Amino acid sequence: MTKQALDGLRILDLTQVAVGPYATLLLGFMGADVIKVESCSRMDISRGAARPAPGSDALYPGGEPGERPWNRTGHYVHRNGNKRSLTLDLATPRGKELCLQLAAQCDVLIENYRASVMDRLGLGYEAMSQANSQLIYVKISSQGATGPERDYGSLGSTLEQTAGLASITGYEADRPLMTNETYPDPVVGMLAVGALMAALRQRRQTGRGTFIDLSQREATASLLGDAILDYALTGRVAAPMGNRHPHKAPQGVYRCQGDDMWLALSVSNDDEWQRLCQAIGQPELAQDDRFNTNLARYHHQDELDALMSAWTQTQDHYHAMHLLQTNGVAAGAVLKGGETIVDPQLQARGFWDVVDHPEAGTYKQVTTPWQLSKSPRRPACPAPGLGEHNAEILSTLLGLPEAEITALEAQGIIGTRPTGA
Amino acid sequence: MPDPDPILGDLRVLELSEGVAGPFCTKWLAGLGATVIKVEPPGCGDVTRAAGPFMHNVPHPEESATFLYLNTGKQSITLDITTPTGSAILQQLVRTCDILVESFPPTYLDSLGLGYAALEPQRPELIYTAITPFGQTGPYRDYKGSDLVTQALGALMHTIGLPDREPLKIGGQAALYTTGISAFSATLLALHVRDLEGHGQLVDVSAMETLTVAQIHASLQHQFGRTPVRRDSTLMPAQDGWVHAGLERGIGEDTWPRVCELMGVPELANDPKFSTREGRREHQQELQAIIGAWTATRPKEEIYHALQNLRTVAGYVATVEDLFVSKQFAERKFFQPLEHPHTGKVLYPGAPFSMQGMSWRHGRAPLLGEHNAEVYAHGLGYSADDLTRLRGLGVI
Repeated sequence: MTKQALDGLRILDLTQVAVGPYATLLLGFMGADVIKVESCSRMDISRGAARPAPGSDALYPGGEPGERPWNRTGHYVHRNGNKRSLTLDLATPRGKELCLQLAAQCDVLIENYRASVMDRLGLGYEAMSQANSQLIYVKISSQGATGPERDYGSLGSTLEQTAGLASITGYEADRPLMTNETYPDPVVGMLAVGALMAALRQRRQTGRGTFIDLSQREATASLLGDAILDYALTGRVAAPMGNRHPHKAPQGVYRCQGDDMWLALSVSNDDEWQRLCQAIGQPELAQDDRFNTNLARYHHQDELDALMSAWTQTQDHYHAMHLLQTNGVAAGAVLKGGETIVDPQLQARGFWDVVDHPEAGTYKQVTTPWQLSKSPRRPACPAPGLGEHNAEILSTLLGLPEAEITALEAQGIIGTRPTGA
Repeated sequence: MPDPDPILGDLRVLELSEGVAGPFCTKWLAGLGATVIKVEPPGCGDVTRAAGPFMHNVPHPEESATFLYLNTGKQSITLDITTPTGSAILQQLVRTCDILVESFPPTYLDSLGLGYAALEPQRPELIYTAITPFGQTGPYRDYKGSDLVTQALGALMHTIGLPDREPLKIGGQAALYTTGISAFSATLLALHVRDLEGHGQLVDVSAMETLTVAQIHASLQHQFGRTPVRRDSTLMPAQDGWVHAGLERGIGEDTWPRVCELMGVPELANDPKFSTREGRREHQQELQAIIGAWTATRPKEEIYHALQNLRTVAGYVATVEDLFVSKQFAERKFFQPLEHPHTGKVLYPGAPFSMQGMSWRHGRAPLLGEHNAEVYAHGLGYSADDLTRLRGLGVI
């Protein structure tokens, strides 16, 4: 069997919710041994409540919390495959001690708490590097490890705003909109993988571990670096422009047949425009001098959009996409959640893994955004139950005897049920 | 002063990429110390040089903000790889390089004898990162992409925007930048393998897959029994822009009364409609109106700091201008000055993360063909006369 890219790399994963778990999910796909650490009194928030109130908005399979709801929420299950689960009460001296001992057996520690949390627990970089001088400590935080706002809390949506991305998102120039997605989280999760690879290389060069300070706000701001630099050069403040392009037309999203179905298209040059006119069976449009140069199309965008829309409303979105694409025009069906999991391209690429989760059922799991020809990813493993690997990890990595593990459980330092369940 | 051994300082990268994703990937490789040689078509260079916005509002190949930002720290050579001579020169260069990053349509470089299959035997250590809209295989392989098309097919767009309007893209070129990040991490994964095992490989990065990883919610909600839909935005006007109060989730018991006090309506703290989280969710519209009435009278940053200090997840919609006055960004020294012959000294967004024991290399974008002499003469041993001939032939 082919060795995996990160075979032998052991990661102590104290991350929660989204950005960190995305990173460790991807690292797990590439073969790393990821040990996810939570406590029974403070589980990963994405597990939902120990006893969910009726009408809770956590995502359970078919809306049913089930016997152990904390192992079954969609957000937890989907972001935490490829990991083992350990619980440790880090507020207790023994829990802290075990955490430090584990860190000594790991290559990497990764966390995404607010800036001071780990330091206050006595588990910050200083303490960790004493336990293990080779340890790479990855700190992902909203604002960074330093600065006046370092203890500010953020959701992904907050970061879209404070990093500048929301200021250029919206239908009209004077009204920015929230995406209601958590875009900065998966993006920075992907970036964290590269940052860790860089640190591992540095460790091979120096023989020592290091501390990575990854600010989600700064990383997200880099996604609009061109607009930021434009301001520095000209004083222009970028604003939303809907789905349009600064100078190309037509570009937009047009309604298709069916319920809430849409087609995106973007035409980059005159040749592409000609091909579009032929493809949709309106060759006379190609002669219309309102539209036959890029500049003319740009100035007549409203009319263009109406013409495109008149055509797309007679079309199925996928059919229209294939028709245009086979004629060399950039077009894409706006896929819904239910469509992406059966999309033919993603199927052919083996992008979705079918996971049979013992408590949450069968579902399709998102995998990696890359394919390495000689280092294929592992197949997705189901997200672990709370504390599922306590005994395995404590005995094999720390040599704790069974009696001690039982005692830890009795003391509530480790466990498999959340407090209040 | 740069540290003596930057992490990628021993590596040479060839970039055969235009636009955003490929250049963004190699920008960070340059920042980590690699020598990045950007191979541009003679004459006009990377198409992004012709894409604005421009410093003086007039197109100029050395004054495109997008080009200047995406290509910091690189060298530029011109080369027409479609000619046999150019292709041979590229292969010479490949033999001196560790990583090649390209974003041509699949099979294009193969047709020039420059694909991974042709280059691997010449240089088994080569890491070949190929970035495309849909990947190197599959029924959409030869389809055209764009930032908008990728957001659509990435299943991210359908849930963005207002319920009664068309789906909305995330602004700028977010999907292409994100694909560049995906390529950066994937390239460094391959480098990790090479450092340990000695061999290179093909790194196949797809924009559609990158965006599908970013969407997780839509596919997940669908599978767990909910229909993902577009929802209203809950941003509220401030005196000088827009804010978000951040009161929906995870706030402490005592936060709401303190917010009421801050807004000058302490009596609201006891109003049963708003005193619990469920109540606030149920009466969201009314709550928005009340808070909005207050926020409209205050500057956005003041609201942001005041509410954050009460332990909410408040945000403010920072414009590009606001980023430059943010005290957080200033304290973090996020902006870096770079000097360029056409622009003078200008502040650029800086590194996406920092690492102890390492400092990022910050260098300006290259002029078109600026490093022809260095790379071809010093590097490959071509004489000045040879370079003149090659220029005359249009090869460089």
